[in-house]
Amino acid sequence: MLIGFSLLALNLFGKENSPIDFNRDILPIFSDNCFHCHGPDAKARKADLRLDQPEGLLLSSENTPLLIPGNPDSSEIVKRLESKDSDEVMPPPESNRSLTEKQIRTIRLWIEQGAPWQDHWSFKKLTRPNLPEIQNRFLPRNPLDHFILNRLERVGLSFNPEANKEILIRRVSLDLTGLPPTLEELDAFLRDDRPDAYDRLIDRLLLSPRYGERMVWDWLEAARYADSNGYQGDRERTMWPWRDWVIKALNTNQPFDQFTIDQLAGDLVPTARFDQILATGFNRNHMINGEGGRIPEENRMEYVMDMTETVGTVWLGLTLNCCRCHDHKFDPLTRKEYYQLSAFFNQTPINGGGGDPQTAPILTVPGREQKTQLLTLETKIQNLSMEVSTLEKNIPALVALTEISEQELSKPTEKEVRKALAPSPCSRNKDQLNKIAEFFTHKHSVYVNRIRALQNLVNTRNQLNRSIPKVMVMKDRETRRESFILTMGLYNQPEEKVNAGTPSSLPDLPTDRHPDRLSLAQWLVSPDNPLTARVIVNRYWQIFFDEGLVRTPEDFGTQGKRPTHPGLLDFLATEFIRTEWNVKALHRLIVTSTAYRQSSKVSQSLQERDPENELLARGPRARRPSWMLRDQALAASGLISDPIGGPSVMPYQPGGIWREATFGKKTYTQDHGGNLYRRSVYTFWRRIVGPTQFFDVSKRQSCVVKPTRTNSPLHALLTLNETTYVEAARQLAQRTLIHNDSNVERIRFAFRSVTARFPTESEQHILQERLNRLGHHFESNSDAVEHLLQIGESANENNLDPVEHAAYTLLCNLILNLDETLSKQ
Amino acid sequence: MNPILESQAHLTRRQFFGRSAVGIGTAALAPLLSRDLQSSVGTLSSKLSIRSQELPGISHFVPKAKRVIYLFQNGAPSHVELFDWKLKLKALHGQPVPEEYVKGKRFSTMTGKPQGKLMLAPVEPFQQHGQSGAWVSNFMPHTASISDELCFVKSMHTEAVNHAPAICFFLSGSEIPGRPTLGAWLTYGLGSESENLPSFVVMTSVTKNTTCGQIFYDFYWGSGFLPSKLQGVKFRSIGDPVLYLSNPDGVNRQVRRGQLDDLSQLNQMNLEEFGDPEIATRIAQYEMAFRMQSSVPELTDLSDESPETLDMYGPQVHERGSFAFNCLMARRMAERGVRCVQLMHAGWDQHNSITTELYNQCRDTDQPSAALIKDLKQRGLLDDTLVIWGGEFGRTPFLQGDMKDRKRWGRDHHPYAFTVWMAGGGVRPGITYGASDDLAMNVAENPVHVHDFQATLLHLMGIDHEQLTYKFQGRRFRLTDVHGKIVKPIIA
Repeated sequence: MLIGFSLLALNLFGKENSPIDFNRDILPIFSDNCFHCHGPDAKARKADLRLDQPEGLLLSSENTPLLIPGNPDSSEIVKRLESKDSDEVMPPPESNRSLTEKQIRTIRLWIEQGAPWQDHWSFKKLTRPNLPEIQNRFLPRNPLDHFILNRLERVGLSFNPEANKEILIRRVSLDLTGLPPTLEELDAFLRDDRPDAYDRLIDRLLLSPRYGERMVWDWLEAARYADSNGYQGDRERTMWPWRDWVIKALNTNQPFDQFTIDQLAGDLVPTARFDQILATGFNRNHMINGEGGRIPEENRMEYVMDMTETVGTVWLGLTLNCCRCHDHKFDPLTRKEYYQLSAFFNQTPINGGGGDPQTAPILTVPGREQKTQLLTLETKIQNLSMEVSTLEKNIPALVALTEISEQELSKPTEKEVRKALAPSPCSRNKDQLNKIAEFFTHKHSVYVNRIRALQNLVNTRNQLNRSIPKVMVMKDRETRRESFILTMGLYNQPEEKVNAGTPSSLPDLPTDRHPDRLSLAQWLVSPDNPLTARVIVNRYWQIFFDEGLVRTPEDFGTQGKRPTHPGLLDFLATEFIRTEWNVKALHRLIVTSTAYRQSSKVSQSLQERDPENELLARGPRARRPSWMLRDQALAASGLISDPIGGPSVMPYQPGGIWREATFGKKTYTQDHGGNLYRRSVYTFWRRIVGPTQFFDVSKRQSCVVKPTRTNSPLHALLTLNETTYVEAARQLAQRTLIHNDSNVERIRFAFRSVTARFPTESEQHILQERLNRLGHHFESNSDAVEHLLQIGESANENNLDPVEHAAYTLLCNLILNLDETLSKQ
Repeated sequence: MNPILESQAHLTRRQFFGRSAVGIGTAALAPLLSRDLQSSVGTLSSKLSIRSQELPGISHFVPKAKRVIYLFQNGAPSHVELFDWKLKLKALHGQPVPEEYVKGKRFSTMTGKPQGKLMLAPVEPFQQHGQSGAWVSNFMPHTASISDELCFVKSMHTEAVNHAPAICFFLSGSEIPGRPTLGAWLTYGLGSESENLPSFVVMTSVTKNTTCGQIFYDFYWGSGFLPSKLQGVKFRSIGDPVLYLSNPDGVNRQVRRGQLDDLSQLNQMNLEEFGDPEIATRIAQYEMAFRMQSSVPELTDLSDESPETLDMYGPQVHERGSFAFNCLMARRMAERGVRCVQLMHAGWDQHNSITTELYNQCRDTDQPSAALIKDLKQRGLLDDTLVIWGGEFGRTPFLQGDMKDRKRWGRDHHPYAFTVWMAGGGVRPGITYGASDDLAMNVAENPVHVHDFQATLLHLMGIDHEQLTYKFQGRRFRLTDVHGKIVKPIIA
């Protein structure tokens, strides 16, 4: 595909006829076809020849040059590529790899031009590029547009006109907050004819608490967040306080470098705050295997590798997992370096055992109310405990029991009671207290009464403690664990010992401290790291344009795609660092660009020429994520429930989904009331059988940074028939009927509530006709009316005409399924 | 259709939609799209399909089978108890495991070290059956009666010793969840034969009141990094067979049709204005959804089956969600062009119930499995339908439990030799391939590794397992990783 793209860049886009660019045109060909045997992997390397370094090309093993710059005809490499002899031709036929004639021509051209070499683009030091020249100086709104327009102008294109205000507010509201504008917000924006009306809109959206709830989704998929452990048993966990921490960090615009350090190593920061330790839950979101018969150490190593690879994907855009077993085939990463990286995560006291669903280390995260209750209880326990202590000094039998020697105790009960009395009263558990009380019953009623009271308090406190969410967090052991290269990643096959360290193809770790997770986190967000800023801004770009500038956000290696706008990517990355990793500023920059504000309309000729919208000669258009569609329906209908954060909720789900998957061991207990209408991000996520009302979402089993976007009939069935969607249609219909009198007004209201625009005359006509037919149908089908209006648990207004309400419900159901409704447009 | 022509046809359609979807009437698009959208690469939204990878190099051979029905027996059926008859095992009953058979082998932590465990003879007698003379235990009378149709592979071996990783390995080629599964690969490579049904369907069942059922994880039929549309569609045993298939209460088919007509028209207007071919795809998918609303209920309605057919599958055929019901459904799906049907039946994990629950397990699965073969054959479908029966590994020839406590006899996980059977779809009938040693402990001849099994299966479907690849995270992935040899002797 890379090759496809580069040739496209040369040919399909016409006039863009630049000289051969090694990174764009040549490296991908080598990587795809040669590196497998002549690349970074030392073990797989054939004929001691390596083509990922310039030395290899200029000097083969027999000391004859493989390539003579300027002279393709005499270059051995060209002979081998063009050979018809099956013993000589490269790649060999049995590899199933082969070069096209075009690719060979490209290589010839490159040699002709002197065969200039470049390091792989993403490993190159970040430098802030100059703004490219452009002809139409009126079009750009900010520096980003220079890069895009420059490329457009080179191929004889320009920006599309700006999308109209209705489309814009809907596009950017959903992009920044995941919710459509309300009619009031829409009207306010349309009325605002100041030149900076759009900027004011962005101000408002960036300050909305809904911003964090929207942005968190992608982070949760990357962090493989879920509410259960996965695997057999799939026991519940309570990592949601960590999820709430992320929402808060996003809403308060925590700088991304701090965001990184807190999540990877907040526990190691000197005088770490509670919330910094909470943040380290990030890397405890992996699955936990509690299956009987599993070997704990095997699990533990699996978790260490999961943490390593997740960090590799999220911050570095590197496919580290390849190096579990061998040196990377395509990128400058060795197997040893993989295990050096994993050594950072090999220091936790996690033991790999199943057992308790929340495996240590854990942080208890009481809510405000729980904190107060706990404090009150502890005070009571302390006070009562002192009282008990005093009493105990004055009960001779008791004193005797604690003072005589072990041998003199005749009855086993005496021994037990003596043991129970050993700790100070406030540290005794409920069983110990119970033993004491039973032993002294009928003898010292006042004392026993106090002991029973203490027992009750301890019971209450224990219950309270159990209800307090426990978040699994990171911590390092006192003594360092040794780390090894593992054969094929197998826990029980250690080879050479390794120390924590970072790959040699990237900048060095600071040497002023012993390398630990904190130094790794600081290294990741150091301005010298060429990958992190590029990888992160690329994923942010993806949120707004649906595709990254690098269309393989998970792979910035040689097998990944090259950026469509390399200068723009580097500009954004350096700007991100310059603004001290200010995420909201970056988002503002993107959404205020001319590129983003373009209309997404596309002519047939442009669609043919640039089907993937790589050039950005039009605005983004794509189906919205399924979770956002659900939120949109809830918001448009007015059903949506506001609170931020808290335990995960269980909205509607067809009966028996969990039971069927778990043989009845787990039963879904649907919530009622407001919890049915919470935003999708709060939906309880069981790993082995995820929520059914979403599609194209990560399974939350491992790190995912590229959303999938497919188009299937199963999606249509969901948005047409699922309870939430039908109920949203019913509630939107109700609002429509209450707020408007004429059918004309009502249709306009319903349509606009969802799409943020009024229907055209022909659209209005079609909907009016449908309404009439539905009205006729329901007039003679009162059963159907009754059934339809009972879907979902929210109440109907009493004074509505049921036939009308039913007809409007299906009309709204239709509007909620328009492609326009489902899409960013 | 010739597979190469077929793939060219996909390509043409793909180009067609990539370039000229704009402005074509919906009515003309729908039939073309629906088929295309079910197929391999065209499955992605049209925009994505253009940017997605090239068509895989499919069908270098004429396929022997057009579709596959995999009767996956979750929990690992005991090869020792059912198919792999060993005289010496009977002779050594109650004796300690001979050291040379288990030296250096890893077993599940439940067994720990095999040393000192006692050999356990099969609890039911075996007999030879049919012209092929296949040995089958009395546990499986129905399977025994069709043994001349079957190809027993008795030299299977695998790498994992625990259920989930081993099942994952069989179905996706990797012990770690997250790779595309067999059905996803097949659909990716071959597309669909059906206009109205998904091409990869999964159904699950479990023996009643079993104490050893393993959970069905959805990654057993996941699409991994392949487009998520290729993941298996799980048919449910309660409620709608396909999630959200039914119209909301109070909405009948005519009313829905009317809504969809308007939806099409409104979307078409938007397509004309915005020019995004994705909108045409959306229109087509809503139409496919509408067709599924009638094709799925028709599929699951057994009222057109003759009493003879129903009887053949046994009494449980009338219970939705039973293995018998699912087997009959599998035949109906095969008739309707579903490419891959994956039935998973749990309850085979007899750690302490060989003499008790194994009887129920065979009662629930033996007759329906045999009926499926007979039924496919009598309808002429067996020739191009590949049927596979087997679990993720075998069970130890030695005892788990106390020899004195016969009621709690069991066998532990055993990856070193086990049996699967195949039928139809270009497999030689009435043969046994490969063999374990004289205690059914290790493979003695013609070993078949899981990757070999997968390579063979793809070969039968007309696919070169080395060429069906997908590039992800910089690597070309395939079902067989970097392994797999085709087991040629079992191919007819």
